[in-house]
Parts: sequence; C-alpha cells; structure tokens
Amino acid sequence: MLPGKYRAVSGRAASNVNCGLHLVIQTSSLPDRNKVEFRLSKETPSFSGRLLQHDLERNYSSRQGDGRIISPVPRSRPSCLPSPASVADFCGLDVRAAASSIPALGEPPAQTLSRPRARQGCHSAGPNVSGEHSSLVSSSMPAFPILHRSTEEKILCSDRLTLERQKLTVCPIIDGEEHLRLLNFQHNFITRIQNISNLQRLIFLDLYDNQIEEISGLSTLRSLRVLLLGKNRIKKISNLENLKSLDVLDLHGNQITRIENVNHLSDLRVLNLARNLLSHVDSLSGLDSLTELNLRHNHITFVRDVDALPSLQRLFLSFNNICSFDSVCCLAQCSSLSDISFDGNPIAQEPWYKHTVLQNMAQLRQLDTKRVTEEERRVASVVAKKEEEKRRESQKQSLLKEKKQLAIRNIARQWEQLQQRRGSEATGPERPGSPSAAQDVSQAQGSGPAFPEEPGSPDAPPGPALADTHLVEVDGDTLSLYGAGALECLDRSWSTQTAGTVTTVCFTFIEFDDIVQVLPKLRMKFPNSLHLKFKETKLVMLQQFNALAQLRRIDQLTVDPQGNPVVSFTLWKYYVLFRLSHFSMQKINGTEVTQNDMIMAERLFGILAHVASSELPQYRLISILGDARKKQFRYLLDAKGKRPGLVSEDASDSRRLLTENTNRATLNYSTRDFFNERLEEIREKKQLCRAYTEGLVQEAAGIHTKAEALQRLWPQMFIELVRDAVVDIRSKDAFMKLSLQHIAQQK
Amino acid sequence: MLSPERLALPDYEYLAQRHVLTYMEDAVCQLLENKEDISQYGIARFFTEYFNSVCQGTHILFREFSFIQATPHNRASFLRAFWRCFRTVGKNGDLLTMKEYHCLLQLLCPDFPLELTQKAARIVLMDDAMDCLMSFSDFLFAFQIQFYYSEFLDSVAAIYQDLLSGKNPNTVIVPTSSSGQHRQRPALGEASMLEGVEAALFYQRLESLCDRHKYSCPPPAFVKEVLSNVQRLTFYGFLVALSKHHGINQALGALPDKGDLMHDPAMDEELERLVVRSRLHRTSRQHRAEEPGAFGFQRRDKPEALERVSSASAATPYPYRWEPRE
Repeated sequence: MLPGKYRAVSGRAASNVNCGLHLVIQTSSLPDRNKVEFRLSKETPSFSGRLLQHDLERNYSSRQGDGRIISPVPRSRPSCLPSPASVADFCGLDVRAAASSIPALGEPPAQTLSRPRARQGCHSAGPNVSGEHSSLVSSSMPAFPILHRSTEEKILCSDRLTLERQKLTVCPIIDGEEHLRLLNFQHNFITRIQNISNLQRLIFLDLYDNQIEEISGLSTLRSLRVLLLGKNRIKKISNLENLKSLDVLDLHGNQITRIENVNHLSDLRVLNLARNLLSHVDSLSGLDSLTELNLRHNHITFVRDVDALPSLQRLFLSFNNICSFDSVCCLAQCSSLSDISFDGNPIAQEPWYKHTVLQNMAQLRQLDTKRVTEEERRVASVVAKKEEEKRRESQKQSLLKEKKQLAIRNIARQWEQLQQRRGSEATGPERPGSPSAAQDVSQAQGSGPAFPEEPGSPDAPPGPALADTHLVEVDGDTLSLYGAGALECLDRSWSTQTAGTVTTVCFTFIEFDDIVQVLPKLRMKFPNSLHLKFKETKLVMLQQFNALAQLRRIDQLTVDPQGNPVVSFTLWKYYVLFRLSHFSMQKINGTEVTQNDMIMAERLFGILAHVASSELPQYRLISILGDARKKQFRYLLDAKGKRPGLVSEDASDSRRLLTENTNRATLNYSTRDFFNERLEEIREKKQLCRAYTEGLVQEAAGIHTKAEALQRLWPQMFIELVRDAVVDIRSKDAFMKLSLQHIAQQK
Repeated sequence: MLSPERLALPDYEYLAQRHVLTYMEDAVCQLLENKEDISQYGIARFFTEYFNSVCQGTHILFREFSFIQATPHNRASFLRAFWRCFRTVGKNGDLLTMKEYHCLLQLLCPDFPLELTQKAARIVLMDDAMDCLMSFSDFLFAFQIQFYYSEFLDSVAAIYQDLLSGKNPNTVIVPTSSSGQHRQRPALGEASMLEGVEAALFYQRLESLCDRHKYSCPPPAFVKEVLSNVQRLTFYGFLVALSKHHGINQALGALPDKGDLMHDPAMDEELERLVVRSRLHRTSRQHRAEEPGAFGFQRRDKPEALERVSSASAATPYPYRWEPRE
C-alpha cells in the first residue's frame, strides 16, 4: 500500500524443522501491521525454539523485531533500508515483491499468502491445500506434475512461488512463470533439481530441507543470487559455474567434505557451510566479496587462505577441532575481520586463548558472540606484550644457548687441534701464534662489554660472554670458563655481588698450566669459590695438584676423567687429600671424603712431607717456600744460626708447629714453561759458577803445586844456606873484620 | 790427600774425577741463587749445611734432573730418597702403572724424564705390555739398575745388539733409532732356546767394557755370577737378573735388601706420629661426629699391623747402614 522501508529477513522457516530460511518483509510505515511474512503467523509460538536453533547456527545476535524476525543482514548494512521501493532487500538481493501485492499481504497477519501447493499427482489432498486459486495438474508426463497458477494469483504475486511442505519428490514443471523471481521448495522430498531451467529470471531459490544429493540443473539460472540448499544430502560443491552473480549460498547441514569449485563466485557475500564434514578450510581465493563465512560444526583442524578474502567480516568456526593458533595463523593477516567465533574448539580452552586472539586481531569487535570491550583489549595487549617479551627473552636465551653450544664446540675443536699440534710438535716450547690473533678479533667484537656492567642480580644472571675461542659464563653460583682465553675474564672488575655468589668454578678446555697462573687472581676475585671443576685440562701429574694449595679454600674438587689422565691413577685422590689437607675437603669427584681417606692419605704420603720438610737444608727450604713464609722462618733461622749444635726445646717445638703448616708447602708445582725458564736460568748460573770454581780451583791447584815444589826444595835449600854460612865463618877473624868493614861503610 | 791415587793425578783432574768439583760448583750456584737469604745467616753456615746435606743424601730433594744424575752419589741418594718417601705406597700393596710411578718420581724431581721410567718398566715387564701394573719392589729394583747404571746399560745394549746380529742369524732384528730400545723377536717356528746370546761370549765383552768404562758399572764379579748361571740369555733377561741380584744391590748401597724393603722403623714411628696428629688436627678442626667404631678400629688395627711387620723383621738384624759411598 505504502511504499515503505522493507526489510527482508531470512530465517528458519519451520518450527518443527531444524533450520531453514524465513523471509519477512516489514513495512516500517505500518506500525501495527507492518510485518508481512511468507509464513503463517500461527507458527510464532515456536519461534523461540527456532531462534535458539538459529542462534546456534548463526552466532551473531540478529536483529529480531518482535522475536520473529531474524536478520541475516550484516550489521554494517542497516536493516532498515532507505529505499522507498517495494523491495524486499535480501542481503542486497532485490526480491521484488510486487508493490501492489504488499497491501494484500499486509492485511491479516494470519492470512495465508498465496500458497500454491503442488502435490504430485494427488488432487484428493485438496482440503489440505489452501491454494484454491492454483491448481496442480498432472501433465501428460506422468513423472512431473505441472503447476499452473490462476491469473488472479499470478497478479497477486507475480514473481514468487512457494511450494512449501508439499511432499514433492520431484520438482514440478512450472509453466508460464518465466518472470518468476522467488521460488520456494522448503520441506519437500525432492532428490534432484529439475525443471526450473526455464526460470531464467529466478533470483531466489530455496530448497531447504530436501533430499538433494547433487547440485545440478542450475546452469541456466544466471541471475540467481540466493541459493539455499541447507539440510540436504549434498556431498560435493559442484555445478555452480554459471551462477556468477550468486550472493548467498547456503549449504549447511550437508555432507560436504571439502570446499571446492567456488573460486569464481566473486559476488558471493554469504557462504554457509555449517554442519558439514569439512576437515580443513582452504581454496577460498576469488571470493572477493565474501563477508560472512559460517563453518560451525565441522571437523576443521586448520584454516588457510582466509587472508585471501578481502571483505570477510564474520567468520564462525565454533565447534570444530582447532587445537593451535598455528593452524589458524592466517587469520591474523585478515584485517577486515570484525567478528569471529572459536568456542567449542580445543583452542578456546587454553588460558591464553582470549588474549592471543585479541592481540593478533586488534580490529575484532566480537569474539564468540561477545562484544570485545576496551578493557579486554587492553588486558590482552598487556598480556601479549608480556608474552612477547617473554618469548623474546626465551628466544634470546635459546639463541644464546645455541651460540654457547656453538662456541663450546668451536673451543673443543681448537683444543683438539692444539693437542694434536702439541703431540706432533712433541716438546715444542713455543706456543703457536695463530690463535691469538683470532682471539683478539673475537674479543673486540664479542664479549667485551657484556660482563662487568651487569648488576649481577640473582634472578637475572649475566648472560654468557661469547667469543669464538673462549666462553665465560656465570650461571647462578657457577662460573664456567671454556678455552684458555676465558682466563682473561679474571682480570675484569667483577661486581662484588657476582663475585661473592660464585662458589663453583669450572674449567674446560684450558691447560692446567695456564690455570695455575691465574689461581692467585681467582683467589682474589672469587673469594668464595669452594668447588673447582676441571675437565679437559691436561692434568697429568700428581704434582700439579700442588698448585691448588695456594687457594684460600676448597671444599670440593671435581676432576673429570675426560682429558685428565691423572684421574686414572689409583693414588691421585689420596695425594689430593694429602696435599690439600689444610682445606679439609668435603668431596672429591662427588664422593664424600671420610676420616679413613684422610688417614690413608697421610699414611701414603706423610713421610714424603716429613722428609721434604725436615731433611731439606735450610737455605733450600727458604727458597722453596718463597717470600710469604720467609718471615715465619726467620725466627727459626736465627735460633738455628745462633746455636747450631743444640736447638732448645721450645725452638724445636716452634719448628714442629711451623712444619705442621709448611711441611706440605715444600711440595709445590711450577708450570712447565716456568720450570723450563728456571732450568735455563740455572744452566746459565751453573756456567758462571763452573767458570768461577774452575778459576778458583786452578788457582788453588797452582798455589798448591808451587807450595809443594817449595816444600820439596826447601830442605836442600836450607842445607845449602847453612853450608854457606858455615863456610863464611870458618876463619873467625877474617869474618869479623869483614863485618866491621861492612858496618863502617854503612855509616 | 795422601792416597796413592791422589798423587797419580793432577789436582784438578782428581777433584773432577771425585766429583768434588760438581759439588763445589753446585754449592756456589746455590749460594748465588739464594744469596739474600744466605747472607743473613752466614756463608760458612751455608757451606756447612750444604756439604752436610750432600753427605746425608738429602741434597737431591726437588732438584733438577741434570743435577740428580750428575754423580753416582746423587743417584744413590735419589734412589734412597725415593724409597724412603714412597715405601708406604709399596707397603699399602697397590700395584701401579709405569705412569703413576713416573708421577711419584716427578714429585721428587719435577723434570724427571719419562724415558728412564719407561726403560725401568720395560725391565719389569720384559719389554712388553707397558700398561701393566707393577709391584713397588719390582719397579724399585729395576729402576735402581736402570737409573744408576744408565750409561753402562746403554753400552751393554749396543754390545748385545752386536752379538745378536753377528752371531745369531736366526733372530729377526727390529731396528730402532735409540740404542736403548732394542727389541728382538724370535722368528716364527724357532725354538726359544736360540733366543738371546751366549752368556760366556757376552761376559767377555762386558768384562772389557767394565774395564774401560768411565761411568760406574756393577762389580764384574757379580756380572760374572749372573752370567755364569745360564747358557744363553736375552738382554732383558740379563737386566732382570741384575736387578734381582742382591749383591749388586748391596754394592750399590742405596736400598736395603728386598726382604727389608718395607722396613724403616724410624720413619714408621714418625709416620704414626704424623697420622695421629693429622687425625687430631682434622677432628679438632672439623668437630665432625665421627663414629667411634670406625675411629677405634683404625686406632687399634694399625699399630698391630705395624708390630707384626717389625716383629717379622726383628729376627734379621737390620743390615743396612747408609753412608755415602765412593
């Protein structure tokens, strides 16, 4: 009657059927009777049930007028169209309900709208059929009933035909209705789409709730825009090639296993594939206009290609089998998406689900039918940021770990090469020069700044300093050093906190001789280091353990058999216990040290210490003990120097006291290089001494020879002298005269 | 000063031959090295101490190898020191490998060469299976021969090799670079009787070697004794016989007889004192809750064992008297 704003609503039609399509035309200009349905209003009581059903299927809150109207119209598209035309806008589809027919339709709410019912070959069913104006006539072909409508009815609603619940098993031949635009076969038993190829102006075809097994017979319906095939038995999407202007395709409740043959439907806006047997989502390219995709109640495990849908706004994936975000990660690229649902998937059970979804799809306005609030968004972003940080941190950690592994492998290789070279060089004293250059490079680019600046807070241990040739790592209370270059780290200024927390020091791939040189530094920089671990350090001799005695304290010692041949000796443990007895060690290689071990060690090596301390001459003792202990000994020396023969009781007491501490100190270790140097020095001195003694001895021997010669000559000489004297004084007077003359001359 | 030899040689040569020069040189060298310390308590005191320690044989402790092997007295002193210090290891009954013995040697002489230890081990193990375990006494006596008569043995090896190649064509000789490392393998199928060289011939050669050898060599009478017992012998067989000959051991004078090898009452006493002290030291320092059972057991058991040892050797009077030889 009045051109108004019409609203076309698609909904579920039947109250006793699960789902369907329901078209309502509402004229806004008729407030009280503005609802025109293609349905009997007496079915309204069951609407609530239908709505529930519907809600499950399309999980966005539809516009519901008075509880009967369900709008599939996208939110973006106002449900009230400004168009004054008598148009039932069905998702943009111009279902032209003839303007003239509207008033007729609108009159009694309960009035049955032209309902031509077709019933195959059964006229006697007349009473059930209200279509007194239309007649269904059996044609000459017995299989297909031919439908004729009365002119009156044709005028009344010239472009629509509803054959609902007619128990049709085949499509009737519809004659003389070429202008038909809307055709409704809901709730029949049709198994095959037939006899409609002549309806080339058809826009709306509803075959909801039939028994169709294959999509067919539609190739001529080029103008078809709405195709509703819900609740059928279709197994495969096919034969849609010519339906280029299809706007709505409803295939819910079928047995479709995969999405296919839809890529040409560039105008398609709504695709409903709910309650099918899809296992995954892909091949969606080409659906450029798709705004709504319903995939509820399938068996989908992963989703692809969704980012190829430029217009997609609503995506329903509820009740599927999505387990991880990785399988739907393409959604994050889908910027047009504003409404999504994942409920009923394993993924939605995850605690991080909501945050992750909101974080990855910031444009989302609804999630699982609930509005996304700003608060949620904020929380999500905070959580996501945290997670991102965590992830980055862990990534960094793993990267570092990887780097560390790599560095250790590198160092191990270099170590092996060095050992081999050493082996082949036999006793080449000079160190190969090549690695030092490489090391300098790595130092420059790598580890430099990472370390001492670190505050050394206990929960954030300083990351490992990485370099190609060495690795320094502080992990909790453990300082690990790999490669000889790592020893340089002991020169750095460590924060007191870090230095204080380090109780375990691990040496790997470092020659023990190199370690020995930094032990004093270790003692200073890490005063609390109680546990030393050695692995691949070339510990080959018992005397090398002597070097450890200079540390402040050792509670535990772990010497890995790998690269430390000394561990294969039966005596090494006892020697360590003996030599380092002043530390009262608790554990050696993880084994508790017992009192018996200590006694055994003392029994085995006690004499060595005793001999070393009590039988060495004093000057040797002093030179071996070095400056540190000289003072202690001076007193002792004084005592001994003054009374060489008898040492008083308290002096010997004090000596014993001192030897208690020092008898082991005489057993010390000097590294090979150092020792060789010393030998060289000694050799030089020896040469000097040899020359000196030789001179002395030669001289002494010469003197001695001369003295001996003199000794031999002397008796004879004496005799000769006496003889001369006797001859002189033989004539006494003459001698006296001569003597007097002599005296006189002198005067 | 008045011995006839002394008159036969010029002074310098005499001193050199008697190694007096070696000690004088070393004394001066030591003096030079520790001049600051020594100047504080007198050079006379230093020389007294030095020559005293030479007499006692303690001067070789922790010295460099070149000094230790410089004189026969030094070698004997070193052998003795090794025995005294590690007698307890042997007493404990541990069998050790060559490398471990080498480590013990290095505790006394940091640069002790591995080669010597290896040669000594070869005597014990008859030239094969170098990783085998050896008892302390076996090693010690073999080591004594090898270390003390090192140069002599090198010459013997050369002689043996000459004889082997000249007189016994049935033996395959594996040529080696060093004269000390002669190995011979009997050809397959040969009777082991033919292994080695004839003892009599060998002795002739050795006798002349002893006469002209300027280094110390074992008394020829004992060598003769060793060689007269057998018809043929191998090089290592000879060395084993030498190392087990207690007359040579006595003549060398560094070590006690094999039976008394574990016997050193003075040191045992000292050791007991050390053990007790260390135990007290540890317990007092640790305040450990030590199980009294274990403690008591240790206490009771060890002196008993000691007593047993001393009573066993009490029958034979302690025959060894250490004095510097030469």
